[in-house]
Amino acid sequence: MSTKEKLLYIIDDIELISKEIIENSIAPKHLKLSGPEYAQLTELLMAKNNELNETLKLAAEQAQIDKKMDILKAEVERQDHDINHLQKQLKEAEQILSTAIYQANQKLQSIARANKRPVSSEELIKFAHRISASNAICAPLTWQQGDPRRPYPTDIEMRLGLLGRLMSDPINGHLLQQQNNISDLHRQGHPGEIPAAQQNQFAWHPSGEIHMSVGQGSVPMDTRNHKQETEDVEVMSTDSSSSSSSDSQ
Amino acid sequence: MESDEQNQELDKRITVEDLNIEILPVVYEIIRSVEKDHHDNTAKTRESQDCSQKVLELQKRLDQARAEIRLLPGIEYSKEQQLNHLEALKTQLKLKQELLHKYRYMYSFEVQKP
Repeated sequence: MSTKEKLLYIIDDIELISKEIIENSIAPKHLKLSGPEYAQLTELLMAKNNELNETLKLAAEQAQIDKKMDILKAEVERQDHDINHLQKQLKEAEQILSTAIYQANQKLQSIARANKRPVSSEELIKFAHRISASNAICAPLTWQQGDPRRPYPTDIEMRLGLLGRLMSDPINGHLLQQQNNISDLHRQGHPGEIPAAQQNQFAWHPSGEIHMSVGQGSVPMDTRNHKQETEDVEVMSTDSSSSSSSDSQ
Repeated sequence: MESDEQNQELDKRITVEDLNIEILPVVYEIIRSVEKDHHDNTAKTRESQDCSQKVLELQKRLDQARAEIRLLPGIEYSKEQQLNHLEALKTQLKLKQELLHKYRYMYSFEVQKP
């Protein structure tokens, strides 16, 4: 039973006993309690009073313990707060680390993939050079409004090229005939068969240039503008930056 | 409003030293005044009036004692229970401090030199 309950019970008992005593003192003679009984009641009252005092001392001790417990509870709360804070930080760290590991894994996989099929940097640069040589990626640095050069081949350039010469040059007229046969075959619908003539006409050679068969030999096709080659090589490093600016515009 | 009342109740938490339960003197006074035998009626009526007042005083003292007991701190449990709680709190605090120390100062990440 708790100390509070004990104290309250003692008070109730004291009340009862004191009421008994008072009633006895005002009662008529024949209802009065005998001497020893009266003495017993009084003794009981004194005992209850002493019990009350002792229980009050106990309550004082418990109050001291209660103060200590309050201090401890405050400490425990502080620890709880710190534990929560640390837990949040650890969770954050875990998340960051797992993201980093995942990305590192991706990078390792792409490194493995790249190592499986290596490409020489010479070839890459050569192809990049060829792609940008036609001025289709970025305008030439000296280009102004009114410059006749265009990023696509103009009609003058086309007429100067192979298709234009086909029509004008009678020596190569039979090649035009072959072209017509090829288009007929396509119209008849031979799905999986590549016509032999077309196969031999344009072919990639190992050096990376297109060769066209003319009679028994083959003629390398010039797909770049030699005049602009040197200036392109010089400006290639800055080209990417200028192309991005032109793209944004 | 309610919180104000609660604050007032909390402020009223008193120590045992503040308590003043003096019941027995009043009982003694009542008995004495009853035992007194007065010869004249005016004294008797006055005495009986005093007596009823003292009885009320006794009642008031008892109620006051009960109210003050309710305000004493730390007596919700018996002493053994309270000491058990205290021990439990101490253990809890110790465990939590150890946990924090362990995780704050552990360093399991060794940087490997290639």
